[in-house]
Amino acid sequence: MEQAPPDPERLLQPAPLEPLGNPDAGLESVVVEEADRPRDEGPGDGTMTENNFWLKKIEISVSEAEKRTGRNAMNMQETYTAYLIETRSVEHIDGQSVLTDSLWRRYSEFELLRNYLLVCYPHIVVPPLPEKRAEFVWHKLSADNMDPDFVERRRIGLENFLLRVASHPILCRDKIFYLFLTQEGNWKETVNETGFQLKADSRLKALNATFRVKNPDKRFTELKHYSDELQSVISHLLRVRARVADRLYGVYKVHGNYGRVFSEWSAIEKEMGDGLQSAGHHMDVYASSIDDILEDEEHYADQLKEYLFYAEALRAVCRKHELMQYDLEMAAQDLASKKQQCEELATGTVRTFSLKGMTTKLFGQETPEQREARIKVLEEQISEGEQQLKSKNLEGREFVKNAWADIERFKEQKNRDLKEALISYAVMQISMCKKGIQVWTNAKECFSKM
Amino acid sequence: MSGGPPKALPSTGPHSLRDMPHPLAGSSSEEAVGGDSTPSPDLLMARSFGDKDLILPNGGTPAGTSSPASSSSLLNRLQLDDDIDGETRDLFVTVDDPKKHVCTMETYITYRITTKSTRVEFDLPEYSVRRRYQDFDWLRNKLEESQPTHLIPPLPEKFVVKGVVDRFSEEFVETRRKALDKFLKRITDHPVLSFNEHFHVFLTAKDLNAYKKQGMALLTRVGESVKHVTGGYKLRSRPLEFAAVGEYLDTFALKLGTIDRIAQRIIKEEIEYLVELREYGPVYSTWSALEGELAEPLEGVSACIGNCSAALEELTDDMTEDFLPVLREYILYSDSMKSVLKKRDQVQAEYEAKLEAVAVRKEERPKVPADVEKCQDRMECFNADLKADMERWQNNKRQDFRQLLMGMADKNIHYYEKCLMAWESIIPLLQEKQEAK
Repeated sequence: MEQAPPDPERLLQPAPLEPLGNPDAGLESVVVEEADRPRDEGPGDGTMTENNFWLKKIEISVSEAEKRTGRNAMNMQETYTAYLIETRSVEHIDGQSVLTDSLWRRYSEFELLRNYLLVCYPHIVVPPLPEKRAEFVWHKLSADNMDPDFVERRRIGLENFLLRVASHPILCRDKIFYLFLTQEGNWKETVNETGFQLKADSRLKALNATFRVKNPDKRFTELKHYSDELQSVISHLLRVRARVADRLYGVYKVHGNYGRVFSEWSAIEKEMGDGLQSAGHHMDVYASSIDDILEDEEHYADQLKEYLFYAEALRAVCRKHELMQYDLEMAAQDLASKKQQCEELATGTVRTFSLKGMTTKLFGQETPEQREARIKVLEEQISEGEQQLKSKNLEGREFVKNAWADIERFKEQKNRDLKEALISYAVMQISMCKKGIQVWTNAKECFSKM
Repeated sequence: MSGGPPKALPSTGPHSLRDMPHPLAGSSSEEAVGGDSTPSPDLLMARSFGDKDLILPNGGTPAGTSSPASSSSLLNRLQLDDDIDGETRDLFVTVDDPKKHVCTMETYITYRITTKSTRVEFDLPEYSVRRRYQDFDWLRNKLEESQPTHLIPPLPEKFVVKGVVDRFSEEFVETRRKALDKFLKRITDHPVLSFNEHFHVFLTAKDLNAYKKQGMALLTRVGESVKHVTGGYKLRSRPLEFAAVGEYLDTFALKLGTIDRIAQRIIKEEIEYLVELREYGPVYSTWSALEGELAEPLEGVSACIGNCSAALEELTDDMTEDFLPVLREYILYSDSMKSVLKKRDQVQAEYEAKLEAVAVRKEERPKVPADVEKCQDRMECFNADLKADMERWQNNKRQDFRQLLMGMADKNIHYYEKCLMAWESIIPLLQEKQEAK
């Protein structure tokens, strides 16, 4: 079970980077402004009883998409798509839903929200957004962002993202997320004012840590490999699936030519004419059936894509662990060297190389007072360092514990979702086969009447 | 020969099953012998062939004392010949058992030709000979020479078209065997061609090469006389019915050509689809190796796609082997028909020219000279033969295409049924609840 979540009601302050080890935090639910929105909080011991309490209370949907033109940061005209987000609160008793909030957001705002969540909840596997640009397209699909089919699939993906966040036991309580759904104007400024960008770890630092860390938790190392391989295999799968779709499209469409030629042939035949003509019609039906079939399959591809992107989110959590672990190792190393220095100064033996030692040799010994002063400084630093190390250690362990809890939750979710996706894929194939049997049986009957 | 059309040979026209004499009961007699009965092979051996009106001792119900094996094989033959108008049948020919012969000079395939007949012309009730493609080719040429007024069925192509096909591969040999079998059966069905001397020799001679060397032994009178038509006569106009046939054949061949191209294209697309599927399935396997709970479901999907791939391969093979060759055969058939039409035109042209020449010369006597009359006979014979053949051809064409297209539909239905089964069978696997680890 997770520790108490960061307090979402704290006005305009980001949630702390990690849940505090302090078990007293997060108990109170300060309902400050949102008097019209009663919020259930968990019992006072900080444990969560309702994982999806948002979903119980509200329904979120991205119901529309609209093309807009506006001016961008460089005052140039641009076209973009805006999405309508509607939030409904569900009354307990009669199950009726009442529209409580409705606002428009564009894709870049979703991105901002997600970046915020990534920085503020590094131990959480943050749900991914649908792809920015259409990838893994097979030739019939448009790669154009303005294409209505793409926009429609993106709308569904964005809705899915919001639902995932809303159903996450920790993320759902985030203030900024709440405002995203409720405060149309000024939201961007609000997010930026949290200063979350400053907390973001630099990519360079993270990369450095990945290479240099000595003792990461084995589970995270394994998880990292898993997510790399998952990314690779799902990418491959999506690429080949797109090619398969392309070929299947070709097979079906060529059959349409039978329709025309049977019709022409039937014109010169006497008894065979009718049978040929009607069979030709079935061939046309067959050829046109592929469009719907492949459209359905795109939904399956989208489900796979979500987990392709989820793999990246998993990697992010692993990276954070490596960074923290590296930080810890560096702090420990630093402490150890200071302790060593201190010892050398105290006992007068020089075992390690130090600049002071060199200069002492060159320019003469320092006075006992100087030495005392230095030892004092070092001792202070050591004491500070020990405190820091202790808290870093604690933080590290907390992180690992909480991250692993979310990872377990994620694994369950992934297994459930992907199983469902495979089942729906199988169902699609079954439907396609049945349609095929139907069409060819009809054609066969027409042929039999020739 | 008189002016009337030649009497049609053994075809006695449609008979009810009741009246129909047993195929092996009478020989080439037109008379209906009462009662239907099934023979046994032994009976074939024992019979005396002079007796046209022999009633089988087993006379009575078809379910009599005959051995089931023979009656079912008989039934098979009847169905193969698609004889729905109930002709009497006294000649059965099959092509089977291809064998490869490796000699110093060349390697080639021979086929076994089995003939069973009660006809007088056959000394034995049964013959079994081996023939190779060039023997069939020889036969066809001989038939064209000796029966120029008739439509000779086409042979499968002599040379392998693409050069990529292995002419000793099982599939190629089987496709060819079927086509050769069809060829002989069509001749067998023909009331005139089946009595052709060359055909008889082809079916029965132990040493065909010796006979070939003898040269053309027998030619019908009509054949000889038609051979002498050197051509060069210009036809005024084709009679309406033959013109219609000509136009029909032109369009027909065109449409068949289009269908052939479409079918080839479909097979090509299906093969490319198959190639992708073969890469697609295994990726699920690779994924399965990474997972725990999902391992079995993913592996199941991989296996499923593999099954669909196998089914698709079968479909493309079947279409290539069974569908395309028959289609092409009909294109060849309509080409033959067109050339026969042209020959007919020649005969008519000669007649018209001669008639005109006579009209120019002042003739007091109203009687038409003998050779012009001969020409007229020739033309009318030709017309009659051709008409009969056209009708027969149209009927067979209808049956053949019905069978062909239904076959195509069937193959596709079976393909989808196999895929359906594969996908339906993994649903329970996918829905299975895993035990908590």
